Amino acid sequence: MSRLGAIVDLSKEPLAGPLSVEYCVIGSGPAGATAARALGRAGKEVLVLEEGADRVGPALTQRDGEMYDQLYMDRGGRSTADLSIAVLSGRVLGGGSVINASDVVPIHPSVLDVWQRRFGLADYTVQALAEDEAAALADLSASRPDDSLLNRNNTLLRDGCHKLGWRGEVMLHNRVGCAGLGTCLLGCPLSAKRNARIVPIPQAIEGGVRFLTRARALRIEQLGADRKRITVRSLDERGYHEQHHLTIEAKRVIIAAGAIASAQLLRRSGLGNQHVGRGFLLQPQLPIAASFAEPVRCFEGIPQTYAVTQFEELQHPVHGFWGFRIEAIGGTPGIVATMLPAIGAAGQRLMQRYPHIAGALLLHPDAPRDDSILSIERNGRLQIHYQLDAEQVTRFRQSVEAAVRVYLAAGAEEVLVPQTPPLSFRSLGDLPKLAGLTLRPASVPLISAHQMGTVKMGASPATAACSPDGELYGAPGVFVLDSSLFPSSPSSHIMTPILTLAHHLSRRLLSR
Amino acid sequence: MPTDLFGFLSRRRFLRLGLAGLGVVLLGGTSGLLLLRGKAPHVEGLRVLDDHEYRTLCSLAAVLLPQGPVFPQGALELDLPRAFDRFLAEEPDYLRQDLRQALVLVELGPVLFDRRAVTFSRLPPDERLAHFQAWSESETLLRRQVALAFRKFMCLVFYDQPTVWPHIGYPGPSFARLSR
Repeated sequence: MSRLGAIVDLSKEPLAGPLSVEYCVIGSGPAGATAARALGRAGKEVLVLEEGADRVGPALTQRDGEMYDQLYMDRGGRSTADLSIAVLSGRVLGGGSVINASDVVPIHPSVLDVWQRRFGLADYTVQALAEDEAAALADLSASRPDDSLLNRNNTLLRDGCHKLGWRGEVMLHNRVGCAGLGTCLLGCPLSAKRNARIVPIPQAIEGGVRFLTRARALRIEQLGADRKRITVRSLDERGYHEQHHLTIEAKRVIIAAGAIASAQLLRRSGLGNQHVGRGFLLQPQLPIAASFAEPVRCFEGIPQTYAVTQFEELQHPVHGFWGFRIEAIGGTPGIVATMLPAIGAAGQRLMQRYPHIAGALLLHPDAPRDDSILSIERNGRLQIHYQLDAEQVTRFRQSVEAAVRVYLAAGAEEVLVPQTPPLSFRSLGDLPKLAGLTLRPASVPLISAHQMGTVKMGASPATAACSPDGELYGAPGVFVLDSSLFPSSPSSHIMTPILTLAHHLSRRLLSR
Repeated sequence: MPTDLFGFLSRRRFLRLGLAGLGVVLLGGTSGLLLLRGKAPHVEGLRVLDDHEYRTLCSLAAVLLPQGPVFPQGALELDLPRAFDRFLAEEPDYLRQDLRQALVLVELGPVLFDRRAVTFSRLPPDERLAHFQAWSESETLLRRQVALAFRKFMCLVFYDQPTVWPHIGYPGPSFARLSR
């Protein structure tokens, strides 16, 4: 295959196969794009497969319906099997970095201690990753937004935090030239996010890497240590239906499709050991709404800049990183409406208050659990089995109480936990209502934006699916390179840890 | 929007529901159920749903997002049921099947869960709201799941309509406004 870098849309230009390459990378998010760039720059022949389309500029329309349909896996409707948690992940060239909140939070050093101690990742030290983290931060043009970029939704959270004397911070972000369009979760039409589509992908193309969009990898066959066959189907322009068949042969395969899709592909292919798709983490988040007399207009400006970090534990003896944080979040009307608990005219009355509603997310680090399992039914349906345990419910009670306190301190008229039926807090005297927070499935809009640990790395196949190099145990030459590898929560946000790992493992791969 | 949203309607659950339905049928007879359901008006151009399912969806849409003094157009007037039918047409077979069965379940809800001799679409409008509210707050997971799934779809699409934005104080996408 030629080494002429390009983006080829398979819905418009079906390729005649079979193709043959040195490296096939599956997934074009921050991990896949970073690895592809490193390999391309090293003179390797690289092909990247991406299920989503290439959407930049005005093609990112800021409309809920179209963007969830076009930028997210399963048209934005993926969830756990019992509908408890909406599972959000990207399906677009550039992956999750196109539709995330652009928060830059590196791996907490104490987490690396845990990875060394509990998971046998002896060479994952702060020193060993320092160069990779610096490269990740450089890719992201990481900076701290100045006060002028904080919208009212974020300053209200900060005001409440200051009044209570709690710890909080303006988070680092990866925007340059931001105009505060307010729809980061639906992609940035101004390309102000320094995401995978804007930074490593163009650089990879310069290095001769080819990106095939609307290309779904169906399965991988291990034909030999240096020979794998990838069966691919092209998709139609909207990505709804499979079209043409394509076969690719590669010496090495790098799977970087995101934690759910990577494990799904391996399970479909029958590759990997019993740990693939088991014991994963969803790091669930609970949205909270607060109504203010003054206009908040959470749909304008950067949606997420301020975090209350008072309750984060960065030296937890078991997990390294634990507790919870509260972060402001804004949203477009469609997605906000799906999270409010009322129906009929009562729901419409709530939405009439939309410009006065502040929003926050309660972010909880997660731990691997035995009962989280990915399975694929005979009809092809993916099932994500994951349930909150008692410890998580207790921790959510604590984080909801903290959110109520901080918003009331900021002057909220009402704080609403969008459980059905809703829990409403108008004063601290309402706090005993917290006993009614059950979080039972399909009654509260929990979301997961940070899936990880579906194909964990570790020192031994007895306890992990991949080696510390990211190579799949039992399948030489098949590598996993995304958040699937994380054995525990590395941070409250995973883009920077993913990029750090991508730099690190790309170096290790090239030095073999 | 949703894909796995309806993955909950597993064969086993439907078997259980089927048994419940069977009990109803044995008590009331198939012809009794058909009589209760009545004849739905024919709708041209549907891609997935049949006339009965479409009628149920219209009844549900009017409950979830009604027309009223503040919102001169509700979900029905904005043709959201047809948008749902178009959405379904691009979804996998298993999901289409689940959703259609969920609509049958909603239609039979008053019979199955309230032991009333009337189906959802034939309830008076105010009773439809109370009945569907009970789904959202039910102790039965399956009923909550059905309620959540339809509410999410309808809300996402309804509040994404430019004609709705003036009524909720949303000025619309900022990039287009800035470009102007």
